[in-house]
Parts: sequence; structure tokens; C-alpha cells
Amino acid sequence: MDQLIQTLIIGFADGLIFALVALGYTLVYGIIELINFAHGDVFMIGSLIAFALIAPTSVGGLGFFQITAATPVPLMVGEVLATLAITIVLTAGLNMSIERVAYRPLRHAPKLAPLIAAIGMSFVLQNVGVILAGSNQRTIENIFPTTNLLSTFGITSVSLTVSQVFVGVVTIPLLFALSWFVAKTRQGRAMRATAQDPDTAGLMGVDVNRTIAITFLIGGALAGAAGVVQILYNNVTVWNLGFRFGLISFTAAVLGGIGNMRGAVLGALILGIVSAMSDRYISSNWTQAIVFGVLIAILVFKPSGLIGQQLADRA
Amino acid sequence: VSSTTDTIGTGPGAWFGHIGAALSGMAAAYRSDLRRRRRRTTILTVIIVVGLLYPLLNQYFLEGFSRNVFPLPLPDATVMTFMTIFAIMAVGLNIVVGFAGLLDLGYVAFYAIGAYVAAFLSSPHWSALGLNFTFLGNVAPGAQGIHLPFWIIVPIAVLVVATFGALLGAPTLRLRGDYLAIVTLGFGEIVPLVFKNLSSLTIDFNLGPINIALNNVNLTGGVQGINPIDPPFLPFLNVNFGARSGPLAVYLGLVLLAVTVVVARNLEHSRIGRAWMAIREDETAAEMMGVNTVRTKLLAFALGASAAGIAGAFQAAYLGATTSDFFAFSTSILVLIMIILGGIGNIWGAIVGAFTLEYLNASLLPYLGQRVQDSAPFLPNPAQYNFLLYGIILLVMMRFRPQGFLPNRQREAELSVVGVEEAETAMVEAAAEAESDTETVHELEPPLDLDNVSVAPPGQDETGFDARAPETPGEARDL
Repeated sequence: MDQLIQTLIIGFADGLIFALVALGYTLVYGIIELINFAHGDVFMIGSLIAFALIAPTSVGGLGFFQITAATPVPLMVGEVLATLAITIVLTAGLNMSIERVAYRPLRHAPKLAPLIAAIGMSFVLQNVGVILAGSNQRTIENIFPTTNLLSTFGITSVSLTVSQVFVGVVTIPLLFALSWFVAKTRQGRAMRATAQDPDTAGLMGVDVNRTIAITFLIGGALAGAAGVVQILYNNVTVWNLGFRFGLISFTAAVLGGIGNMRGAVLGALILGIVSAMSDRYISSNWTQAIVFGVLIAILVFKPSGLIGQQLADRA
Repeated sequence: VSSTTDTIGTGPGAWFGHIGAALSGMAAAYRSDLRRRRRRTTILTVIIVVGLLYPLLNQYFLEGFSRNVFPLPLPDATVMTFMTIFAIMAVGLNIVVGFAGLLDLGYVAFYAIGAYVAAFLSSPHWSALGLNFTFLGNVAPGAQGIHLPFWIIVPIAVLVVATFGALLGAPTLRLRGDYLAIVTLGFGEIVPLVFKNLSSLTIDFNLGPINIALNNVNLTGGVQGINPIDPPFLPFLNVNFGARSGPLAVYLGLVLLAVTVVVARNLEHSRIGRAWMAIREDETAAEMMGVNTVRTKLLAFALGASAAGIAGAFQAAYLGATTSDFFAFSTSILVLIMIILGGIGNIWGAIVGAFTLEYLNASLLPYLGQRVQDSAPFLPNPAQYNFLLYGIILLVMMRFRPQGFLPNRQREAELSVVGVEEAETAMVEAAAEAESDTETVHELEPPLDLDNVSVAPPGQDETGFDARAPETPGEARDL
């Protein structure tokens, strides 16, 4: 039982990171029906940027912030926030430029042309990752205390670490902020309108190109945030991280019903827990196969996903 | 080219019928081709003859020249063999992606299955389970494990892989375009993982008469893979086509490629080939015209996959070893780039693309890398960043020449934005012209206008072809 709860906690934390990346897939798919294959690699670039900012020069970082476990807490919070801000700005800009350069010229091409271009972009970004950080794994030291937060309540058999709380503290507000943005703001309404029918939205005065660019901007920002959280939580990054991570997140988006934001978060949490369970109870060798098995099963038996595609809601 | 392929049945019998018809029609096809397009056929013949002589030339002259006199980026026998292997796969993937328009991102799975079929049937692997069986194999009497000759393994691999192709195809038939791409990608990731992980299987299954008890059985060789695998061997002539056989393996690869090409070409022009093109262009319309879309798509998957079965079996037998690491996602994409580069839908384009890219990948880039290392080590090594180059190739091709360098004429119009728009403008103009011919002047009307029913409604000629723009570009136009 304790083991199960422990696995659920780990899976939930993983799932929150998947959710940030999955939202990028689902937003873009919702608006231009493109599986943005390069999205996982934008996330990878985000984690490399965070690595460069945080890690000291001795392990290959730029050492801007040099966060270590010994850094005083207020300074650490400030530096983590600064890292988040810088990474988010860079990845958001990167994702928007990718759209501008690679996908916009293909907007009216056959549907699979942008998909193939996205695969090409994915390879380009992976190689950029190799050029930036080399082909070996990059690791940073764990900056969070490893104490069990639950021990203050007298529970020792299940552990909840500061890093897991950190994941929640960063991701959950972002998820709510995005939900608010899409539901309540003028730009969010433009996104929903464009997702429903780009031509009509254009006739109604929505700047479709700008709306799509902003969608990519948001997706890139979320991927950057996920990159920062990922490296602080798992302490490791590598150039091909985006491929595996991206596929799991894409699976999450499909599981929830692609185009549906709440579905993407739900799917990501489920997949986080499923893969944690598989790591724990089967073998981590099989986790990837199980995730893809889930993906295939869903696409085959319920292509609309768990929540399904509510057209009005699919921005 | 094909005269006997107009009626196609299903099942393995019909499949072998195709191969037989294709092979027997070869000489006649060449003669008629020469009659119709003399210049093109002559050029092709010259290219093929030079290509056939090249492995020998390389072996006895060029290789020594390159080694002793002046280094040239020449493909050696291994590179050439892999050029043929990739060309076989490109021709097969072209059936799925180019003819039927089903984007398959997990093609490497079939390559892997083909390789492992060869490994299972001609290596000492099963001796651990006490399975020892030799049939016409080129091994010492009493050898451990199962040993079948390569010539029997290839058809078996084709059948097994075609079955897996249909198995993958069956549940994915409802999916369109990009979802299909992702499912195939997932399949392509799962298959090598299965081969990698099934190295210590413990099953205790006891159900009445069925009693399976496996204790820590190494089914697939795990990370190490399986070796040694018997090389292809011709009895009586005593010829061995293994990794050290030089040009011989290249010729075997070319023979296998030729068989694949002949089958693919005949399929393209057969009833099933036309059905593939119909569902590629508009699945709903094809279904309305009586095309059995389920069977057609399944056949595309199965037949396309079987080429990868040939390639996989040949690769495993040629190298004498197989591991799951050979079969990465990047290989699927590499084959896809080959057919995109050459021209989706065109068999010759697929072959040219495969030869070019594999040559680039295995010969030219390492050569340039070596030169860069020698003369300017501060520059980035091109061989290390090959996939950066391929990524850029994909991006640039999609942007500026999506139809490839040897385009299929039909696909060209479908694929290029400009082409679609031009075709549409032309069609609308033609439609307008047709309207002004019928003296009543009215706006372009929907095809189902019940007030104006006539034998050939405006915008259509007597043959029933709708001359109007069928739909807006980018809508339900799956590749």
C-alpha cells in the first residue's frame, strides 16, 4: 500500500511535467491540426538552457546562477525564478520562430508536408542540442533538501520530497494561468475562434497569423518551463531527451483527446502514473513499450480520447 | 507492362502469381519500352550497365587507386550492399507512402522483424532450447541450432513480415493521416524494444493440455542480439555472399532489388495500384467508386512491409549478426527522406534517393569528415552532424520541392502548393468555359442542383470527370 502511494506521488510529479509539454502539442494541434514533432525538442532545448544557466562552469554550464544545495533559500528562489523567466522567453521565441520559418510557408500545403517539416525541424534541434551541450548526458547536483516532508506528520513509510512539491508549485499555477488565458482573455477567444474555423475567424477580424504565432509562443513557454522543472527535478538532461519525453507527452495529449486542454493534463497525469507503475512493478525496460501500447490502443479504440474533442473547447 | 495483373485475388497464391507474372513479363516490357521511348530507355540501360560493372571495377581497380594514389570518396562493397538494402526498403516504403498515401513512420519495425526471422532460422541461437535442425544449410553436419538456407528464409521473412504488416494495418484502418503516422511510429519503437528486452523470459502456463513452462529463456538475444548468422550461400556453385565476399554481395543485393522493383512496378500499374492511388487522392470518393478500402490498405501495408522483410533478412545474413540497436527511429526517417528526396510515388526516385542518401551517409560524409579532420580539425565534422543535414534536407524539400527530384507527375500536382493552386485556377477556368458554352449564363452551381439535372452538368464532361476544383487545398488531402 505504501509502495503504491509512493508510486502515485512519483507518477503525479512526472505527470505534471508531461502535462506542460502535452499542452504545447494539444494547443498547436487544436489550432492548425499539426503534430508538432519538434515540440519535444524545444522542451529539450529548454532544459539545456536551464542547465547552462544553473550549472557551474566545472560541469560545463555557463554558471550564471550557480545554484547549489548550499545557496540560501531566498537567493535560490530568486535564481530559480530568473532561470525560469529567461528559459521561457528563449524557448517561446524559439518555438515562434520555428512556426514562422518552417510551418507558416506550408500552411496551405497538403497536411503531411508540415508534419514532415516538423520531423526535419526535430532533427535540426537535436543536433543544435549536440552542438550546444555535446552528445553525453549533462547532470547537475540536486539543489533541494532530501528530507521527507511527510515525516513532520509522523509518516515515514511514504516520502514526499521538496523537489516533488517544487514541481507542483511551478506547474499547477501555470496550468491555471493558461486555462484562464484561453477562457477569459480576448487573445484566448481569438485562439478558440481560430481553432474552430480559421477562415471565418479571419473574416471576423481575428489576425489568424498572429493568433497562431501566439499559440506557438505559449507552447514554447510551457515547454521551457517544463525544461527547467525537469532538470531541477531529475537533475539530468541530454540531447535526445526530447524525443522520448515528447512522445510520452504527445501520447498524453491524445489520451485526453487532442485539442482539449483539460484532457491533455488528465492524460499526462494518467501516463505519469502508468509509467511510474511500470517502472516500479514491471521493469523500466518495458515502460516505453507500455506507453506506446497505450497510445496505439487509444488511437485504435477511441481516437477521440478520454474526454473527446469538444469543438468549442479545443483551443 | 502488366498484362496478367488486371484481376487480383487475395492470399499468398495471388501474391506469388504477381511475382511470376512480373518476372515473365520483363523482357517483353523492355522491348515495348524501347519502342516507345528509345532515348530514355537507352540512357537507363547505360546507367544500369555501368552500375552493374561498377562493383567489379571498384574491387579490382578503383579501390587500390583510392588507397595508394589519391583518396576518393568511393563506396566500398559494404556501402554498396547497404545501398541496395536501403533501396529495397525505399521501394517498399514507397508502396505504402507513395502509392497508397499512408504515412508510415515505423517502417524500421518490419526491417527488424525480417532480420530477426533470418537470425532465428539460420543461427545457433535455438540450441540453448535444444532445437537443432538443419535443412540444406551450409553448415557442418550436426551443427547446433536451426539452419535453413537463405533462399528459403527470404520467402519466410516476407510472409512473416507481410503478416505483421497486415496486423499493424488492421487496427489502424480507421485512422487518417497524422494519427496513422503516430501509431506506426509507436509500432516502430515497440518492436525493437521487444527484441531488446525478451532476453530472459519466464512463463509458467499450465492450462489442461497446453503446458508451457519457460524458465529464464533467452528468446531474442537481448542487447547482444544474435550471431553468428549463416551468410547466403549458393550450393553446387559453392558461392558465399557474406560480408567478406566483396562485389558478390552487391550483386545479390541488386538481384533482390530487381525482384522488388519488378513486383512494385507491376503492382503500381495493376488494379490494386490504381486502387491505392484512388484512396490516396480521396478515400471517400474511392470507396464510393467501389474500391474496397479495407482490403486495399491492408494490401498496401502487407506488400510494402514485405520489401523490408527482404531487406532485413538480407542485412542479417550479410552482416552475420543482428542487434536491436540497428533498428532505430532514425532509420525509419532515413528511408522516408530517401523517397522524399527521390520523389514520392516514383519507384526510380526511391532508388535514386536511397542510393544517394546511403552513399552520402556511409561514404561521402565520412570521407569529408576525414578530410576535415586532417586539414582543418577546428571545423565541425560533417559525418557527426549527418542528421542535422537530413533535417535541413527535409525542411528545404518540403518548402521548395516537395515533389522530390524525380517526381511522379501525378503526385507533383498534388504535393506542391503552387501546383494545386494552378491546377485549381485552370480547373475553374475550364469550368467557366464549359458554362459559357451552354448558353444559359449562371453562376457556378453546386453539382447536385435538382432544378438543372442534365446528362453532363456544367463543369463536367461526358466522361463524368468533375472539372471543378474538388476541394480547398490543405483539407482532407492526406499524403
